[in-house]
Amino acid sequence: MTDLTLAELAAAIAARKISSAEATEACLARIARHDGRLHAFITVDAAGARARARALDAELAAGRRRGPLHGVPLAYKDLCHVRGLPSSCGTRTAEYFTSEIECTAVARLSAAGAVTLGKLNMTELALGPFGDNPHHGDVDNPWKAGHVSGGSSSGSGAAVAAGLVFGALGSDTGGSIRLPAACCGIVGLKPTYGRVSRAGAMPLSWSLDHLGPMTRAVRDAALMLELIAGHDPHDATSSHRAVGAPLAGLEQPIRGLRLALPENYYFDGVTPDVRAAVEQAARTLGSLGASVRPLRLPDPAAMIDVCNILARAESSAIHARVARDRPHELGAAVRSRLEVGFHISAHDYLQAARLRARLARAFVREVFAEVDAILAPTIPEPAPALAAVTAPPVEEIVRRMGRFSRLTRPFNGLGLPVLTVPAGFAADGRPLGLSIAGRPFDEATVLRLGHAWEQAFDGRGRRPAL
Amino acid sequence: MSDSARTADRQRQADVAALAGAIERLAGDLALGEEPANFAVALEDGAPRD
Repeated sequence: MTDLTLAELAAAIAARKISSAEATEACLARIARHDGRLHAFITVDAAGARARARALDAELAAGRRRGPLHGVPLAYKDLCHVRGLPSSCGTRTAEYFTSEIECTAVARLSAAGAVTLGKLNMTELALGPFGDNPHHGDVDNPWKAGHVSGGSSSGSGAAVAAGLVFGALGSDTGGSIRLPAACCGIVGLKPTYGRVSRAGAMPLSWSLDHLGPMTRAVRDAALMLELIAGHDPHDATSSHRAVGAPLAGLEQPIRGLRLALPENYYFDGVTPDVRAAVEQAARTLGSLGASVRPLRLPDPAAMIDVCNILARAESSAIHARVARDRPHELGAAVRSRLEVGFHISAHDYLQAARLRARLARAFVREVFAEVDAILAPTIPEPAPALAAVTAPPVEEIVRRMGRFSRLTRPFNGLGLPVLTVPAGFAADGRPLGLSIAGRPFDEATVLRLGHAWEQAFDGRGRRPAL
Repeated sequence: MSDSARTADRQRQADVAALAGAIERLAGDLALGEEPANFAVALEDGAPRD
């Protein structure tokens, strides 16, 4: 049962072929069996999930269906405030983050009928791309033990890939949805900045934070997006723009869409298998009627400098109390990154914010006059060995973090929607990721392209052997 | 201050200086009217026509 996609399970529950209680028990059994190795969960709310599933089954039997996720078990990154459950945010403090309101995205999924299985492990304070955590255990890669799961939404990536849950929420400030999705061989969507409310989720960087779905199929990501997107009065940055119907548009042909393969930056230093997988995906999309051309992009390195200033300054301001009063509670790399932010001047911060606006405007105007979407690798190499990337000294760990997330971070500065989908496998079975970036608020097109590729991909449906 | 603390402090100063230098180079020709809120405008302007 846990091999079903979210949409398949939702349909089976609606048809009363599977009960929510059965699906919930299947997930709990799988968590009990595999999470000792994976460390994907921080909190498992077995009692709450069972009670909710039974109630939803009774409602369905009485003819009431709450919404498209009626009875489907989901789990949330441990920085989403879920009523009644603690949010450690990957720190050693069980209730590091509290909020007067429940995370809006979680509340919308619950209103659509989802069952909350629990809270998912993450990199401490969402600061790091490898999935290691000194307090709650390093999240292991389901495909290859001892290798990074990707971060910071590491538990979300591993839990979805391993079939412990049917879908999850992650957050993405520099790649934290896309990196674990690519490392774990699943689908992850970083929506446009402002598309999904971040209210009720721990902030890391107000300018760069995004919430989004992590699933085993593109259709599931589209379904979750439709439910969580849209204006929220609790988030001043959330857009009033209509969400549209990306789910209904998935099957539309991609003929005529114009795609770019970047000539600069995105293939620098990537491993041959990563390059080959992205180029194969581009050929496949071309064979389905899209046109693919090389294109030189405005220099992403400039946007990375801007993002570094914004992220460091904002994260240090947000987490100043723990960084200043209780630094011994934080891991060395997290402490080091927060410390830098205390020394960034207001002048540099504001210049970076102004530059960000200029760079984003220029990118959107120049690139999307030529093409409808960009194809690029998500990770520069298959998930590396965790011990290798977390070996001291701390300065080197921070540099490795920067290298591993160099392909995802520019898109946080640009605010564009980016979908990552499995694109192939290394010789030893580690997954590879394809990123599809589109126009602002055009999640429908990136999802349509991702779905077209997914249907053609011969690795579709492959699951890790745990 | 220990050797490791001195090393960390030097590294931090170097990191901050590198970031500041990069921004200074890029920001040299910002016009008076360029403000941070233009980012949201750029996204809205770049969205597909409804």
